[in-house]
Amino acid sequence: MSFDICIIGSGAGASPIAYRMAQAGAKVLVLEKGPWLTEKEFFKDELTISIHDAYNPKLDKEQHVIEEEYINDNGESYWQGEPTSESGWSWWNGNVVGGSSNFMSGYFHRLKPIDFRLKSEFGAIAGANIEDWPISYQELEPYYAMVEKEVGVSGRVVKHPHQEPRSTDFPFPPVAELPISSWIDKAAKKIGYHAIPVPRAILSQPNMGRKSCEYSGYCSSYGCSTGAKGSARAALLNHAVASGNCTIKPNAKVYKIATDAAGKITGVHYYDKVGRNQQVNAKIYVVACQAVETSRLLLASTGEKFLKGLANNSGQVGKNLLFSGGGTGKGDFLYSDLNKEKINELKQVGPFINRALQDWYQITDIDFAKKFTQKNSGISTNGSAKGGTIDFLFHQNPIARARGHQWQYDENNNEQLIWGEQLKQALKQEFTSYKTLRFEVFNDWLPTDDCFVSLDDDVTDQWGDPVAKVRIGYHDHDLVVGEYLSKKAEILLDALGAKNISSSVSGYPATNLMAGGCRFGNDPKTSVLNKNCQAHEVDNLYVTDGSFMPTGGSVPYTFTIYANAFRVADIIQQHWEKLS
Amino acid sequence: MNFLSMKSFFDIDYQTPIFFKNKQLSRRALLKSAAGMGSVSALPVFSLSLHEQKSLALLAQTDPWLTLDATLNQLLPKSETGPSAIDIHALAYLHQVMTVHPTEEDEKAFILKGVGWLNSYANSEKSQSFATLLFEEKELLLKGISQSQAGRNWLNILLNYILEAMLAPPSYSSNGGDIGWQWLEHKAGFPLPEKGQRYFELPARANIIKLTRLSDQELK
Repeated sequence: MSFDICIIGSGAGASPIAYRMAQAGAKVLVLEKGPWLTEKEFFKDELTISIHDAYNPKLDKEQHVIEEEYINDNGESYWQGEPTSESGWSWWNGNVVGGSSNFMSGYFHRLKPIDFRLKSEFGAIAGANIEDWPISYQELEPYYAMVEKEVGVSGRVVKHPHQEPRSTDFPFPPVAELPISSWIDKAAKKIGYHAIPVPRAILSQPNMGRKSCEYSGYCSSYGCSTGAKGSARAALLNHAVASGNCTIKPNAKVYKIATDAAGKITGVHYYDKVGRNQQVNAKIYVVACQAVETSRLLLASTGEKFLKGLANNSGQVGKNLLFSGGGTGKGDFLYSDLNKEKINELKQVGPFINRALQDWYQITDIDFAKKFTQKNSGISTNGSAKGGTIDFLFHQNPIARARGHQWQYDENNNEQLIWGEQLKQALKQEFTSYKTLRFEVFNDWLPTDDCFVSLDDDVTDQWGDPVAKVRIGYHDHDLVVGEYLSKKAEILLDALGAKNISSSVSGYPATNLMAGGCRFGNDPKTSVLNKNCQAHEVDNLYVTDGSFMPTGGSVPYTFTIYANAFRVADIIQQHWEKLS
Repeated sequence: MNFLSMKSFFDIDYQTPIFFKNKQLSRRALLKSAAGMGSVSALPVFSLSLHEQKSLALLAQTDPWLTLDATLNQLLPKSETGPSAIDIHALAYLHQVMTVHPTEEDEKAFILKGVGWLNSYANSEKSQSFATLLFEEKELLLKGISQSQAGRNWLNILLNYILEAMLAPPSYSSNGGDIGWQWLEHKAGFPLPEKGQRYFELPARANIIKLTRLSDQELK
């Protein structure tokens, strides 16, 4: 089989290429490891989504090895890997057509101009491999606007100290909001914060052949059954297929991109649904399997010219992997503190909270700067540091909420199982006496030498191929920023009258927020891709998922992945037209 | 020690089975547990009715369902304060877990083993099977086994399934009339899955299917 464009992966990085190239008349093939589900197969079923993680592979069939740092008896540090089939820590984020974008919350904050030049703005940070992006915000801005229109982003522009420049207004009005959104607005104003509406990749009005949101109350990690959520599948791939130029092959697991002695790609090898070897070739190849799996595929694709993996003679593939720094926090609204009206407002489900704080996207605070006494600490000459974003949300999953209540401490502080009447009372109390408002902090995960992807020497997947080994070291700076932002969020919860306020910031990565591993840059020695996301070493190979990011910014990645993929789609179209 | 060769909740060599820590069993772990299963005598006493030939009410008249039903009813008894195991159809849910859901074999074996251990404990303490005891006697026995790690693990599995039965979509055979959601004032999302759309009924993922050549089959 031969195509113009062969795309490996089908998520936010892959779909804009498939969509644009199919529109342009190219014959496009999309190879996706997972099955092809539609709106008809997405339900608000906690057992499917979280208890059994049924949209992802079983870990005994496909897994990762996660390397963490330990200290031995002599106080020396060493890294030890643990297969996720043993830890139970799944690193899969939605292995179906459309990828993890099916299961995103769709918080579509743009990056801000300073995110493209972190090193120039705040200087180097010792122990981190920070590099400026080879493109500017101005170059990406039209593509953010394009995503807002073509994927569908609902929002409202407000004046804000950290508002990034915009060429257009939001094409769709904001999705409906809960009463607590106005509580947050009032409390924020009172304490001098600016609560801003969160742009969401959710249609507030029917458009582009998709229904609008039906406010089922379960969004976030649940697949959308109306098509309102701007997943790669609902927003772009369906249209690409409708053009007649795009073929999606589900259940096709690519294991190698083969090259000849001259380093030219000869084809893509994959296993079909029942494990048979298949091969295809194309004029242009695009890899977009999400950061970890993209690096894994390139590393596994060795050839005569690429002994360390495809496009990896620089040794950069897999390096400078990024997650999102930050953490989570919460506060409880006790019904006993509130009047009936307030309780009813709090109990509403369906619409969204849609509030964020970006007042400290850049931290200008002498006390914060004082924490860093050494040079190269990420403090600019005017005393500013890079901060981040805070978003607010409610959790829905009742089984997860109930679980654990069968364990209670006895008078000797020993954990004991309870059941019967005691259990009933514990459950009733848990579910009907308060509601928890949560927040998530997003700040930069600095790239370091201790955070990268390699291939595991021992553990293989069900097809017998080495799995990705991920070292998950972090930079302490990320924790300091995360804690600063968490404290700011806690102050808002307090102003709202919440009780039991707490937060947790750790160096453990949120595995649904990954980028880097094939960063773009102008120097082939220190980057895998050029500014066009084309491999420095292979002309007809592009990487269009989040792997390209040298630094990740302080917002969730999906929006920027979409925008960049639309940008690269224009470049690929020119490349293809030249080849044709 | 593998739990399959244990005779009681109170065996001092008991170690929490791997499936308990992580229901996603690794191949290595499967091999490890398979290595422990040697003799026929170590196999579970009860076998499951894979085909629902009998109604659940009939099944519940004999073990293992008789004892499991009695245990579930003890763990979530009838009272004015909230629905019972009977009200939420906890036994029906557990039956589905054991016969229809793709539950790990080790976990099912452990649940069945616990039935045997509970009854032998009931026989040694009260000279009766568990299901025939009075409420207070059952309570004492459950308190007794909860002092052992194996007993705690067994009860915890059943309690977790009670919570699932209470709060899962009704197509999983429990929580009929949304009784659990209503009691806890939880508003469910929509659409909910129907039978045929549950987590184990979604389109299959790619898998390696061992293909046998026709000529090889004929040789056999």
